[in-house]
Amino acid sequence: MISTAGSMEVGMVKVGTMSGRGFTPEEIAEQALDQIISIGNNSHPVIQAQAEAFRTEIRGVLVSYLRQAVASHNTTLTNRFLDAGHPELVKLLEA
Amino acid sequence: MAITIATAMPTSFKVELFKGLHNFTAGSTRFRMALFTAVASGSGTYGAATTNYSQMGSDELPSATGYSRPGELLTSITPTADGTTGILDFANETWGSSSFTTCGGLIYDTGDSNSACAVLSFGGDQTVSSGDFQIQFPAAAAATAIIRIA
Repeated sequence: MISTAGSMEVGMVKVGTMSGRGFTPEEIAEQALDQIISIGNNSHPVIQAQAEAFRTEIRGVLVSYLRQAVASHNTTLTNRFLDAGHPELVKLLEA
Repeated sequence: MAITIATAMPTSFKVELFKGLHNFTAGSTRFRMALFTAVASGSGTYGAATTNYSQMGSDELPSATGYSRPGELLTSITPTADGTTGILDFANETWGSSSFTTCGGLIYDTGDSNSACAVLSFGGDQTVSSGDFQIQFPAAAAATAIIRIA
């Protein structure tokens, strides 16, 4: 049988808004996880369990590296503030 | 009046695909996402009949805290297949240090005279206040991808 049935669709985006702050490493890690791994409801339970375990492991790695990135960027900002003669601003990064 | 917006693939976009007018291959810097104002601040109707960015007019968020017209460039991810479905994805987009209210977005192609590629409703007004506003594209899979052809 030859079928020509098909469809073109647009998916649903998620909107994330933060008030008074940016996203934390944990929040960004969750967003990244959604891109890295998705687990279908119809998957075999064993596969689902393996995927969940993998997701948990990857979450930890992502959060760890994202925290390092934030700390490293703060180091860069600290040096910029000091070079610009504003050592008092460094304390804001430590809050 | 108020903005009426429905998540949809513009009919014109479907035709343009057959004409080979859009190239989503990674590395292309031609796709932008513009944001609409709050529902009550506009008056247009947007959905499958939307054909071009120019139709947004004053219904686009004004350049203000965190947002600049004509929207942000999106990072394309080369289209691929999931099973028998062709899928398209973009990297998440963030408007940092922002304060605005928006009810939806329009993805359009600057490489094709700003033709519309997707109309996205946020399901109502979304407000950000001195924070980050982020569009999180769905997982690139047959049942979820932002644009897919089954």
